[in-house]
Amino acid sequence: MTGGKIAFASGMLLALAGGWLAFPRVLYRTHPQPVDFSHKIHAEKAGAKCEDCHAFRDDGTYAGIPTLDKCSGCHAAAMGTTAEEKNFIDRYVTPNREPQWLSYARQPENVYFSHIAHVKLGKVKCEQCHGNEGGAATLRPFAQDPISGYSRDIWGRPVNRIALRTEGGMKMDDCVDCHRRQGLEYSCLGCHK
Amino acid sequence: MTTTRRNLLKFVGGGAAGALLTPAPWRLITDSALWSENWPGIPRPAHGGITARFTHCTLCPAGCAVRARCVAGQPVSLTGVKPHAVSHGALCPWGIAGHHLPYHPARVRQGPVKEATAAVAQAIAQRGTGEHVAVLDLRPGRTVSWTHRRAMAAINGGLYLTPRQPGYSIDLAAAKTVISFGAPLFDGWGTPGNVIAARSIFRLIQIEPVETRTAAMADLWLPIQPGSEFMLAAALAGNMTLAEAALITGVGEQALAAVQEAAESGQAVVLAADPASPLMSLNEKYGALGRTVVARSDAPMPEAWKQAAPEMSMAAAPDGAIRVLLIDESLPGGYIPWRRIAPKLAPDAVVVVFTSSNDGYARHAQFVLPAAVYPETAEDIGPAIDTVAAVFRIAAPLIAPVVPAVDPARFVERLAGLPASEPLRERAGAIHKAGRGTLLDYTAAKSTPVKDVTADNFWKTLSQGGCWMDDSAKRTAPENLVFPAAGEPPRDERPLTVVVAEPRRGGLESPLMSKLERESNLRLAANRVALSPDGARASGIENGDRAVLETAFGRLNVVVAIDPSVPAGVVEVAGGPRMADLCGGNGRARVVRA
Repeated sequence: MTGGKIAFASGMLLALAGGWLAFPRVLYRTHPQPVDFSHKIHAEKAGAKCEDCHAFRDDGTYAGIPTLDKCSGCHAAAMGTTAEEKNFIDRYVTPNREPQWLSYARQPENVYFSHIAHVKLGKVKCEQCHGNEGGAATLRPFAQDPISGYSRDIWGRPVNRIALRTEGGMKMDDCVDCHRRQGLEYSCLGCHK
Repeated sequence: MTTTRRNLLKFVGGGAAGALLTPAPWRLITDSALWSENWPGIPRPAHGGITARFTHCTLCPAGCAVRARCVAGQPVSLTGVKPHAVSHGALCPWGIAGHHLPYHPARVRQGPVKEATAAVAQAIAQRGTGEHVAVLDLRPGRTVSWTHRRAMAAINGGLYLTPRQPGYSIDLAAAKTVISFGAPLFDGWGTPGNVIAARSIFRLIQIEPVETRTAAMADLWLPIQPGSEFMLAAALAGNMTLAEAALITGVGEQALAAVQEAAESGQAVVLAADPASPLMSLNEKYGALGRTVVARSDAPMPEAWKQAAPEMSMAAAPDGAIRVLLIDESLPGGYIPWRRIAPKLAPDAVVVVFTSSNDGYARHAQFVLPAAVYPETAEDIGPAIDTVAAVFRIAAPLIAPVVPAVDPARFVERLAGLPASEPLRERAGAIHKAGRGTLLDYTAAKSTPVKDVTADNFWKTLSQGGCWMDDSAKRTAPENLVFPAAGEPPRDERPLTVVVAEPRRGGLESPLMSKLERESNLRLAANRVALSPDGARASGIENGDRAVLETAFGRLNVVVAIDPSVPAGVVEVAGGPRMADLCGGNGRARVVRA
């Protein structure tokens, strides 16, 4: 009888450990970014602001990650001595090949999100959703859920559920929380067109 | 602890219970749901820069100006262009969803081009004396139509055939009363925006047996006995007393008197469902010729093009003498029932159709070649019936052809041995040379007199979806406007009169229209007919029953809708090629329960 209880408890403990500790580690697959871009260097040395590269178009739509021609404007030739910059120029600028950036923030096709409504009308700071990306010296690996194909940054609660909730983020719950706090509408059709 | 089967099962049970207390299974469920939404084959919208491009819709002769919102160069939504002198910023449901058509699953995607070319060449070489090569152009008036005509002029015995075309335009804005004999004014008759813009100016009297959408929006709807329209016209013309007409038409004498009074109070125009109907001759009585019914204006064209084959109706073509028939069905247009074409063909005729749909002449042709669809190809649009000033507008392509399409004009051009040309550019050159009119540049949102634009800029603006509009305001009565007398329909004992109350074009339709037609039943689909409750009861048919529609020309399996607004003795059908083949002509039918 005792043996049976031990077997049951062992199975349960193993599943709990696997589900809470191992599963979050194996759930995401990580991919390196094509270039180890440093937001920090660009912000500090070049004095660049977010909107200098991540600009709005004339019609109010958001351009997102800048294309190569924006980078080539300054980096047609090397400005520094780092290996990363040389690598970037050799692999992308000189052959005029767009780097295939992996967007942490790319929302699924069924989500409509307007940057200009949030940034210009709502006065929401970039950091509030994207975190302190602009101060990072390196680009963290892109973590992707291989089943859904979604970025770790945009989908799913933290699977260990012990992370303290932060104000911000780009998951649906973050959007709903923020709208709720601000007393704004947050119906399904607000974002899911 | 010993390893027994019982302990092993308890271990697995504990594992299962523990797993339920972790996020793993719940997360896998939601992730699997998302995974199923991203299966291969599900279309993915492009990501990229958002731009606006301009074109004109070719889905009907209205040619409405279109603003396409494009993402990464791919059109994702279409709207009208505001302000616009002709289309007034409006688009119909077909136009709004036009960018779906290239991807339509029922589209003709391939065809035996080499075999068709060889068969046509052989038939031309072997044709006997008196045998002809003909092009049937279902959307005459385009620049492509002139290529067809020039090619037919270059081929010995070439004929250029078209459905009946009105030789006039209607200026709705100049009318105070519109007396419409079944013309679908609000359902595809003219340019939607133009008709709606003029709606507040005129009073509409709609005369037709069933309550169509136009009848529902009319100021007065006269539900007339089907087939008695000419009697009502005779009464309006003074050739019959109103009392006699009331008896025959089923319309009250007072209502007829009201129509007569409205018609004679000035600025009335008469419209008919068939633009070449003898009913149109009433316009002469009301003084509408030259005022509301005016001569159609065409954009200038190169002098050399005037050496072209004349337009000919199918009825005028010699019987049994067409050895090669090339049917340009690349754009939705008119339709001539096949039984009117078949007698004109030689016994061993070769029939080639250029089309995107299997719905029309593809059912009768030996060779079906895929044609480009809107908005894949550069094309101009002929004048609409309600456009008084001459216009030249180009449907600039918004996407590259999705299938390897055959250009009918190039096919015919090569057949006739004409040198390859750029007819749109040549015509733009001729218009620019004429030096009159205004160039509408939608991108820059401005109008410029043509005399202030260089030839290169004129072409560049037009080829980017611009529009030229003539500003000469002279109005003349249409010449040679001959309306044939109405013939006696052949006797047919079938009990029901066919009323085509749903103008429906052939060709592909977007999912939006499928939703409207096939699921909501807001419109009659091609395989549906409507009967009155009495008529259905007499045939033992209930709402939604499958039945067979029988006419002198064949049978068609249909689904019956019972509609109290349909008068007894009438079967209401949708338009379109299949119904035209089945019901055109004497217009009598029987509906039998399947």
